Amino acid sequence: MSDSHEPQASESGPAPLHGLLAEYTTTGDILRASKKVRDAGFSRWDTFTPFPVHGIDRAMGIRMTILPWIVLGAGLTGLGTAILLQWWTNAYDYPWLISGKPLWSIPANVPIMFELTVLIGGVTAFIAMLVLNNLPMPAHPLDQVKRFARATDDRFFLLIEAADPKFDADATRALLDSTRPHAIESILEDRKTSDKLPTGIIYALVIATVASAVPFALAAKARYTKSRSTRIHLIQDMDAQPKYKAQRENPVFADGRSTRVPDPETVAVGELHEDDHFYRGTQNGAFARTFPPTFRVDETAMLRGEQRFGIYCTPCHGFGAEGNGMVAKRAEELAQGTWTPPSNLTDQRIRDMPVGEIFNTITHGIRNMPAYGPQIPTSDRWAIILYLRALERSHAAKIADLAPAERTGL
Amino acid sequence: MATAKKDPKKSPTGTKTGTSAAKAEGAAKKTSEPDDAAARVAVEGFADSIRLGTESSAMFAKAGGLAVVCLAVSAALGASEGDGFKRWSYGYIAAFGVALAITAGSLFWVCLQHLVNAKWSVVVRRIGELFAANMPLLAILALPVVVPVVLGNGVVYEWADKTKVASEEILKHKSGYLNPGFFLVRMLFYFGFWSILARYYLNSSRRQDETGGSEIAPTMTRVSGPAMIAFGLTITFCSIDLFMAVEPRWFSTMFGVYFFASCVLGVHVTLILTLMWLQRRGRLATTITTEHYHDLGKMLFAFVIFWAYIGFSQFMLIWYANLPEETAWFKQRFFGGWGAVSWTLVFGHFVIPFFGLLSRHIKRSKALLAFWCFWMLAMIYIDMYWLVLPAINVEPDVRAMDLLALLGLLSALVAGAAREAGKKNLIPTKDPRLEQSLAFENI
Repeated sequence: MSDSHEPQASESGPAPLHGLLAEYTTTGDILRASKKVRDAGFSRWDTFTPFPVHGIDRAMGIRMTILPWIVLGAGLTGLGTAILLQWWTNAYDYPWLISGKPLWSIPANVPIMFELTVLIGGVTAFIAMLVLNNLPMPAHPLDQVKRFARATDDRFFLLIEAADPKFDADATRALLDSTRPHAIESILEDRKTSDKLPTGIIYALVIATVASAVPFALAAKARYTKSRSTRIHLIQDMDAQPKYKAQRENPVFADGRSTRVPDPETVAVGELHEDDHFYRGTQNGAFARTFPPTFRVDETAMLRGEQRFGIYCTPCHGFGAEGNGMVAKRAEELAQGTWTPPSNLTDQRIRDMPVGEIFNTITHGIRNMPAYGPQIPTSDRWAIILYLRALERSHAAKIADLAPAERTGL
Repeated sequence: MATAKKDPKKSPTGTKTGTSAAKAEGAAKKTSEPDDAAARVAVEGFADSIRLGTESSAMFAKAGGLAVVCLAVSAALGASEGDGFKRWSYGYIAAFGVALAITAGSLFWVCLQHLVNAKWSVVVRRIGELFAANMPLLAILALPVVVPVVLGNGVVYEWADKTKVASEEILKHKSGYLNPGFFLVRMLFYFGFWSILARYYLNSSRRQDETGGSEIAPTMTRVSGPAMIAFGLTITFCSIDLFMAVEPRWFSTMFGVYFFASCVLGVHVTLILTLMWLQRRGRLATTITTEHYHDLGKMLFAFVIFWAYIGFSQFMLIWYANLPEETAWFKQRFFGGWGAVSWTLVFGHFVIPFFGLLSRHIKRSKALLAFWCFWMLAMIYIDMYWLVLPAINVEPDVRAMDLLALLGLLSALVAGAAREAGKKNLIPTKDPRLEQSLAFENI
């Protein structure tokens, strides 16, 4: 309130002169007048037009703005920030392998680099433009001048401030007179309105700034404290459903489990796997050396085996079953020491292995290899073994195995 | 028409700075000072000389002659390879890409000005119309590419060869689209449609010069909407057919837009250099101002970024998905000698011209703008070369016949435009927006 009190105290004398305002009716007039004022060497003066007048910047002798350099600097800052941010988060502070890409690589980072360049450049352009134009400007002596309202409509104005070192009340008026204005008016300093930002807005800005820190403060607090209450669940989706999920406590059963096992001594329809040879690869307690009679060894089975082998086995064992699949190669490259290389399935050891034992390995897994029983249907497992046997055979092929016609093609 | 009347005593601008521009466009010509009486005659109140006059036929003869010689020598060198024009065809297709980019780009640009009812560009538009009208000429120049395909010769486009298609599943699968018959139909459609559209715009614009009919401009604007949609589709498929089909096992749905970026760059380079040459020859001396160059330069700058945006988007999707059938194309271009070409494009086609064209002062300086236009023209060619040639060359290998084909095709475009310009106006004198275009100023 002291702001508004001060001017009232000095209201005794006449308000000092702020400047001289000349009014023009055409763009040609304002351009001619601007050139004259420019050439007279004034520095604290401005023009006001209802629309952008072409050539007025030249007529006024306005220097090129430094805004482009500010925006360029901001854009490059955004670019640098994006690079640093992504390197720090993805490659340094919390290395996280995403779809097998390098931890830090330019192609993946380019979108963010682009976005931050544009974002920081754009926001800076906006703010710097306001600052360079002395905006926001809550009050100006011209606000009190009635004729000046037409600056947004159909009149062109030129104001020379009294604060200009070249300003001389009479000489400057004479200069403006020589530009043939529609009217000239002396503008007095405004003593009614404060040129400070209204205190209400300042308080609001301070409160908004403080309030914007609250979410960050809450997030920071949550990081370092523990709470027993459930998390805030804004969007429910299908997270909460009236059912018991596996692994959850269930009051209905005595053992409290949601996951139920079949009653002992019962078998579900179609689940009676009595045929040891077919389902377990054993005959009389030993691994079977032959394919089960229920499995038809024919070309269909061979092709099916080739396809399934390609899907399930080649990633590690490779297309030739030599233990050189893509996963194996990659794991070797990483050299992490926790990797057991997949077997070369064309080894003599595997060749001599009973088919039942291979079936058992596929079903239950071995070393690093997980159990494929739940994934691959029983007959497909036998088909894979059939195809594997063919692969092994092809590795030991001799020239004599080929038909004479095929030999010439080699 | 008050502002159209220029002060005849004003000395023509830009006679000093456009030196380099004149050299290329004029194909090292040295003619007497532009005191051609016919061209100097004030037309409809213009103090500026707005017609090429007798220089048109001289230019046509020179550029046309150069085109014929270059293409003939190029073809002779191609024949001496003894590979059934295989190697020559690849180089020719790359050069043809640049010529198509400029011509189709001009057509697009003319449509665009009508579509958005642009006022600043009216004084430049006729130049775009003249280059777009080269389309029938370009259809003839496409014959060395199209005829072998129609004859079932698969030296360049493997899918044109029936036996090859039968032996490969991928080619067989794509043969519904990639087959000589359908290819011919499509080519006829593309070039036919473009030729008609280009001719329509040039003729309408000239009819407006004569009659000043007020209904002509709105009609051209109405046509431009559907024409733009059709252009978008035709340029996409044409670039796929001509350039992507060189490697029929690869595919990218972004390829059309990528080539389109070259089109827009091509037209702005052509417009700027042509205007500079015309002004050096004393034409349109005060009609075209720094403001027009500035705007053309802005578009050039914008599409330098657009090219990078599209090029990178195409690359990043393929890089991220990492599917062998897509990455093979980039693998060929990123390793070995082609790797250096790829980096040349990254820096030469984007990073360097980005900073080079960033400043307003550069776009308003004729000498610097001309320099960047030549730079970008070279980059458009390197881009086309990089698209097409890795299909045959494991390592980059630039031959004289490639460059001669490029020079020949560009000269042919200049000759075509000069002949079309003839003794008629170089600006649409009765366009209702002409006054605004003459008075155009950037803030």
